[in-house]
Amino acid sequence: MYSIEAQGLTKDFKIVQSREGMKGAFRDLFDRQYRTIRAVDEIDLRINPGEIVGYIGENGAGKSTTIKMLTGILQPTSGDLKVNGYDPHGEREQFVKTIGVVFGQRSQLWWDLAVRESFRLLKKLYSIPDEDYHRHLNRLTEVLEMGPLLEQPVRKLSLGQRMRCELAAALIHQPRLLFLDEPTIGLDVLVKENIRRFLKQINEEYGTTILLTTHDLSDIEALSHRVVMLDKGKIIYNGGLPELSKQWGGGPRLYLELKEEWALSALQDFTKDISAEWQHIEGRCYRVGLTGPDPSVSEVLSRVVPHASIKEIRIEEAKTEDIVRRIYQEGVPHA
Amino acid sequence: MLEKYMELMRLRFLMMLAYRVNYYSGIIIYSLNIGVYYFLWMAIYGDQSSINGTSSVQMATYVAVAWMSRAFYFNNLDREIAQEIRDGTVAVQLLRPYSYVLGKGFQGLGEGVFRLLLFSVPGMVIVSFIFPIQLPSDASTWGWFAISLLFGFIINTQINVLTGLMAFFILNNMGMIRAKRVIIDLLSGLVIPITFFPGWAKEILSYLPFQGISYVPSTILAKGVPLAEVITFLEVQLIWTVLLWVPIRLLWINARRRLVVQGG
Amino acid sequence: MTSSKLFIDYFMQYVKTRLQYRSDFLVQMVTDIMFQAVNLVFILVVFSHTTQLSSWSREEVIFIYGYFLVPFSIFAAFFNLWEFNERYIIKGELDRVLTRPVHSLFQVMMETMTPESLSGAVTGLAVMGWAAWEMELDFYWYDPLFFILFILGGAAVYGGLYIMLTSISLFSDSKTDIQPIMYNIGNYGRYPIDIYNKVIQIVLTWLMPFAFVGFYPASFLLHDERWLTFAMFTPVMGLIWFSLGVLVWNLGIKNYRGAGS
Repeated sequence: MYSIEAQGLTKDFKIVQSREGMKGAFRDLFDRQYRTIRAVDEIDLRINPGEIVGYIGENGAGKSTTIKMLTGILQPTSGDLKVNGYDPHGEREQFVKTIGVVFGQRSQLWWDLAVRESFRLLKKLYSIPDEDYHRHLNRLTEVLEMGPLLEQPVRKLSLGQRMRCELAAALIHQPRLLFLDEPTIGLDVLVKENIRRFLKQINEEYGTTILLTTHDLSDIEALSHRVVMLDKGKIIYNGGLPELSKQWGGGPRLYLELKEEWALSALQDFTKDISAEWQHIEGRCYRVGLTGPDPSVSEVLSRVVPHASIKEIRIEEAKTEDIVRRIYQEGVPHA
Repeated sequence: MLEKYMELMRLRFLMMLAYRVNYYSGIIIYSLNIGVYYFLWMAIYGDQSSINGTSSVQMATYVAVAWMSRAFYFNNLDREIAQEIRDGTVAVQLLRPYSYVLGKGFQGLGEGVFRLLLFSVPGMVIVSFIFPIQLPSDASTWGWFAISLLFGFIINTQINVLTGLMAFFILNNMGMIRAKRVIIDLLSGLVIPITFFPGWAKEILSYLPFQGISYVPSTILAKGVPLAEVITFLEVQLIWTVLLWVPIRLLWINARRRLVVQGG
Repeated sequence: MTSSKLFIDYFMQYVKTRLQYRSDFLVQMVTDIMFQAVNLVFILVVFSHTTQLSSWSREEVIFIYGYFLVPFSIFAAFFNLWEFNERYIIKGELDRVLTRPVHSLFQVMMETMTPESLSGAVTGLAVMGWAAWEMELDFYWYDPLFFILFILGGAAVYGGLYIMLTSISLFSDSKTDIQPIMYNIGNYGRYPIDIYNKVIQIVLTWLMPFAFVGFYPASFLLHDERWLTFAMFTPVMGLIWFSLGVLVWNLGIKNYRGAGS
């Protein structure tokens, strides 16, 4: 059984179309026009138990809407969806016992009360047996170093302290599946580091499946086995992070300064049987993008050296962030 | 200078047009209010044709006018201000190049004008067909009414602003806001014309600003008051609009200081 | 009976929170008393000008008012949904509620309840007691039984209606100011229904059935049998309207669009 199995998952929103100006507003009062926008557009997604999947996309790409459907908050407009074997919205009350949710910008805890009180109420809400509760809370307290925080009111905690408590709150009922929406937003590097380590640990220890959205790609680099990238409501990439770089011309780039200036077409001739993209930067400087399946830097060099003498070489590894940015800017190259 | 405020007013007017549910439900609810109070008062009159020198027709007219005026002077600025203070957006508003309090006032006016035009005027026409009410036909009475209604709006808005600003000092003043609403409905003469209160209460109420909100404008239109009395009425309203500025200023200056101390 | 256990837990939580903000507690009490006083003042002033309100005496009207306070205070304590739109829709707290394994309406009610409003029931009983004593009203052994059924039914009518109004926020995110105005209209069920004309009687009986919160059941306790059928119908109306409320709420949850994006 998959942790998450979605087929043709779609969400439409009906929004009011306002007319312009005073006259338009008067007309709106009596006769209103609507427009339908599709926030999530026939997504197919399968996630196996124990996977950590990063879910990325620009603002408005449909990330939150998807997460809200997966967690049972929103009802999908169409499509089939099974999460942990449940229909999330239809069987909400049963279903949510099997998941944990952390919204980075919104607290799950009771603002005015001590952290421990929040846990106590959660225990009742999820009807967790006493023994399980104590054992698990102790473990979480130890791992997340929450000991000194338990007796403090939530509103007095720092963002990093609060996030640790939020994580504990989302895990107190030992869910099989954990949703994290921007879990590291606004945190400093050290705290981020700790939280990532913790997530890895629970994933390994309990086999908890994790789906996280984030703006910080280093979260994904550190955690995810797999990345799902969303744009305008559609999945545009679904696979490993290293493959993402390869598939989209994110391979290393070679910067060459030659002894003399060459025509671009002549240089392209040397490498016409391998997929290297030549670009003239200025003067005697050229850039070679290595895009195809496994063209190596040495391969390119071995083609060039017999003809042109090289003055300087610089190799630049592509950063995921650049690739992602490029995908958004230039669209999907191979779709 | 005034342009900015007029723009705020226009924006609020447009916003009100967008709240359709509010508009339609408002019509139903105000009709019900007028209906209920009409029958309630007619039951009180019973066989008496006049109480306290007010005839039953005048009373019916008073009920209709008072509720339709309420549509104009009523606004939720108290809640709005309190909310902005609690969630901290007031600090952002302070950066804008106009007076916060005055800006709010004009937004309230936009709301009032909206309801006056789309709500009270058509409503009044309909009500005058259903219930036996008598509206004056001379232009001067309507003129005096218009002036005193505007004063009524100002006084009510000032009290709303005051209540809203209390949020700076009391964390949760929602209860206060609700209580204030009920008290104003009672003491302003909306549900009971002030002449109907017992002597001692009338005496106390004459020293309070609430009469200027509903009782004064409604009486001018519904009962037909001699000019000398109209002038006295307007004087009282004028005095209160001036007096109420004092606590608003004081509270505001104090509140701003707090904002600075707390670091916004 | 997990929900009653949960209720106790929420209640304890509530008490702990309240102890931190004692002034709020006081303000709430004062506000409630003010509400009650204002309405009593209206009745007293009215009866200084007349002895009868279409065949109803001052004591009878006051009795009805006192009765009304009891179901109303139950309503006010557990259906404190005034700020639902701001807190749960705009600030997005409903998202959190929906990720927990308990019915969403129950959670919202528990999180917003103000049990101190129940003090209104005490005031109401005192007012009723005073009026009954003044009128030398007799009670039958079954009166308390009906009284309990009636107040539960009345509170359910009020609550159901209010849930429906609150649910509007789930369908449209534009703000509504209906709820506070509705609060006033609820008061109209306190006056003898025969002073109104047919249209308003129908509205207060079937469309916004506030007469079931105040007048109909109170008239039974006053041993006036003209509205006996309506009075007996109170618990049924409570059941119907509360179910309707929950139904509309559930529909709204299906329709809920989520906060932000």
